[in-house]
Amino acid sequence: MSEMQAVTGVVNLSAGDPALAGEIRELGGAELLECIQCAKCAAACPMVLAGFSFFNKKVIHAILLGLREELLDDSSIWACQSCNRCTEVCPREVNPFEVVQAMRRVAIREFALPTLSVEGLKSLYDTGHAVYLAGAGNTRAKVGLPEKPPSTVASKKALQELQTIIRNSALADLGIIPMGETGVSETCEV
Amino acid sequence: MHRIGVFVCWCGSNIGGVVDVPRVVREVAKLPGVVYSTDYKYMCSEPGQGMIIRAIREHRLDRVVVASCSPRLHEDTFRKAVLLGGLNPYLLEMANIREHCSWVHQNDPEKASEKAVAIIRRAVAKAARLEPLVQKRIPVTRRVLVVGGGIAGIQAALDIAEAGYDVVLAEKQPTIGGKMVLLDKTFPTLDCSACISTPKMVSVARHPNVLLLTCAEVEEIRGFVGNFNVTVRLKAISVDYDKCTGCGTCWEKCPTKVPNEFDLGMSYRKAIYLPFAQAMPNKPVIDREHCRFFTQGKCRVCEKVCPAQAINYADQDKFVTLQVGAVLLATGYELFDWASVYGEYGYGRYPDVITGLHFERMVNAGGPTGGKIVRPSDGTEPKTVVFVQCVGSRDEAKGKEYCSRVCCMYTAKQAHQVLEKIPGAEVYVFYIDVRCAGKGYEEFYLRALHEGAQYIRGRVSKIYPEEKKLIVKGADTLLGRPVEVAADLVVLATAMIPSQDAAKVARVAGISADRDGFFLEAHPKLRPVETNTAGIFLAGTCQGPKDIPDTVAHAGAAAAKICTLLARPEMTIEPVAAEVNQKLCTGCLLCRDVCPYRAVEAKEIEEKKNGVLQRRVVAEVNSGLCQGCGACAAGCRSGAIDLKGFTNEQLAAEVAALCGW
Repeated sequence: MSEMQAVTGVVNLSAGDPALAGEIRELGGAELLECIQCAKCAAACPMVLAGFSFFNKKVIHAILLGLREELLDDSSIWACQSCNRCTEVCPREVNPFEVVQAMRRVAIREFALPTLSVEGLKSLYDTGHAVYLAGAGNTRAKVGLPEKPPSTVASKKALQELQTIIRNSALADLGIIPMGETGVSETCEV
Repeated sequence: MHRIGVFVCWCGSNIGGVVDVPRVVREVAKLPGVVYSTDYKYMCSEPGQGMIIRAIREHRLDRVVVASCSPRLHEDTFRKAVLLGGLNPYLLEMANIREHCSWVHQNDPEKASEKAVAIIRRAVAKAARLEPLVQKRIPVTRRVLVVGGGIAGIQAALDIAEAGYDVVLAEKQPTIGGKMVLLDKTFPTLDCSACISTPKMVSVARHPNVLLLTCAEVEEIRGFVGNFNVTVRLKAISVDYDKCTGCGTCWEKCPTKVPNEFDLGMSYRKAIYLPFAQAMPNKPVIDREHCRFFTQGKCRVCEKVCPAQAINYADQDKFVTLQVGAVLLATGYELFDWASVYGEYGYGRYPDVITGLHFERMVNAGGPTGGKIVRPSDGTEPKTVVFVQCVGSRDEAKGKEYCSRVCCMYTAKQAHQVLEKIPGAEVYVFYIDVRCAGKGYEEFYLRALHEGAQYIRGRVSKIYPEEKKLIVKGADTLLGRPVEVAADLVVLATAMIPSQDAAKVARVAGISADRDGFFLEAHPKLRPVETNTAGIFLAGTCQGPKDIPDTVAHAGAAAAKICTLLARPEMTIEPVAAEVNQKLCTGCLLCRDVCPYRAVEAKEIEEKKNGVLQRRVVAEVNSGLCQGCGACAAGCRSGAIDLKGFTNEQLAAEVAALCGW
């Protein structure tokens, strides 16, 4: 379904999925039902300014109505910048950021995630960084820093620990990214 | 020449922020008769009143003008101050330079100051012509008529009776209890409505100071505050309550079934019936419209089976007259007839589209389904229930402009009950705003949300049947999308409107109603239980939509006001009343026609004309009834009527002063 189709047409509430709200509550959005749609979170959200159709309070409302397909067909939830402003301002302590995160978890389970996210996850597994600038080594050297930053990139032990964690997460069951016993140097141009 | 003192109030910045008060004081000092003028920040305060009292004595003032707010607010305050200064309290004239000047001319201080001077000039001109007036005392009948036996009437009757006064409680239905006794649980505490109202019904019916009249309608109210003469029609019930024991044999054996209005037609009763099991009085009446004996001339089954010989087919309507000192109207509300106008909801053709009151009867253990929520069409349990708010409320095109105040809360309560009683039920509430202003109300709404009620912000545009379901179409304005639900049951929160008889009652009692037909209180904030007709009081939803807590509070307030009126054997009445100069009166009685308070009566007098004794008719004003509106004085063609405190001479002087003649 294209973006245009996702925002037009009659929503059939009877076809909503009543289980979605419960799923979200278990996946981290525990305070979902506290929302009164006051929109204070929306007023603080950069996604709203950027024009995304499903921002925090609207995500919450759609979850409560069980609009699973509508949410999965839309990429908005992946645009959350994790700034946490919504959580700071929410008068009902709903923690809208966590609800958006929980919705991402639901989406991933249905493999409804953008390609870019797969890249990010793969990079996270391989390097310990969701976004890793492989070509930054030269720049670092120019200013007198070691080519590899003192993180998982430089420490094979730390990276292996991280990979162990990821292999024991829900991500492993989904098989979205290959999870070999590989290190940084073999997979990335570090 | 009189010695007039002018006191100009700043009212903080309300007047002083716009009107140049010191300049006004200087200018009004030059007016004829003014010997003293001054100003103060808050003239109504203790020091402000003290200034008036001292000035009267020190400057030997004989008339006082206070330029401040509306006389409705503080005329009484300043009259008391003038009295303390040693003058007759009616030698005060108010000049309203706040509501009539500073508040409406905020953007033009210069002209506002000029206008303030003109308003005071008017008041000074009238003050120079004021005459002392004396309040009259009239006796009070210490007995009250309460019209309407719902929770408002019951509560007020109990409060007044407990204070030691006699009460006549007149209810047009065969039982008291009103609407409250029909409800199931009440928000926000979920206490059972019948459990808290039926004991009150019993208390009021058994109270030694209360005379309960059911099947009673007030036909006429004559007289005035403290001394009303009321005629009540007691409709023929065909059962002698002195003999009847309420045993129930008659309605068991009666062969005629009639839809029961107390269950909104969802169950049947007999032609001789008790409206519901806890009815008070707990004795039956015969519904002559349906009774086989009255319609076909034969049957007499109830008469044959009655062990007490209490059936009396020859019973006739009776009229009783009562003397009372005050009348309390508590005629309640009914629901807006949505089916006649809401075509988009099916004009009442779909049996599974019901009102909130139908839902109450259904969910009530004593109701037609024994407490089960079912679809009226097939008796099955609904899985998806849609509530539609504001049906007839906040809808100027089809219903009323106002908000009915109770629907948000009872809908939340009914949503809770559906979710509680039907496992796995889905509840949708279509709303415009959720209004939960009351103690514990918002919390209750949040509870309904928490229990899973889906609130959809938007009005429903269409309901239509599709197979066994009702398709409800609306828009979710929070989602920004049109939505639809396939519902099993739709519950409409219909508007509260005044009871059918309200217009007749208003006419009989001589009071006004607002444009929606609710009785008009004397002041929306400061006199919420009084009417503009002295001695007629209001309680409950006849004055405007209210929930039970507000109704009970309103009724208690009305009872307290009535007790205050009855506490003394005599009462004083305002001397501002019309007076007929019989020498000038031609007896045309136009004044009688225009008087809204029925205070003018024809009177025959004897007088000598050319040495011959003659009789002729003149008008006479009953000063107990007269409210001082002036309609008669304005209408009188021969100038025979003057309103004390607003005489023709005074008014002419005011006009002249305003126009600068």
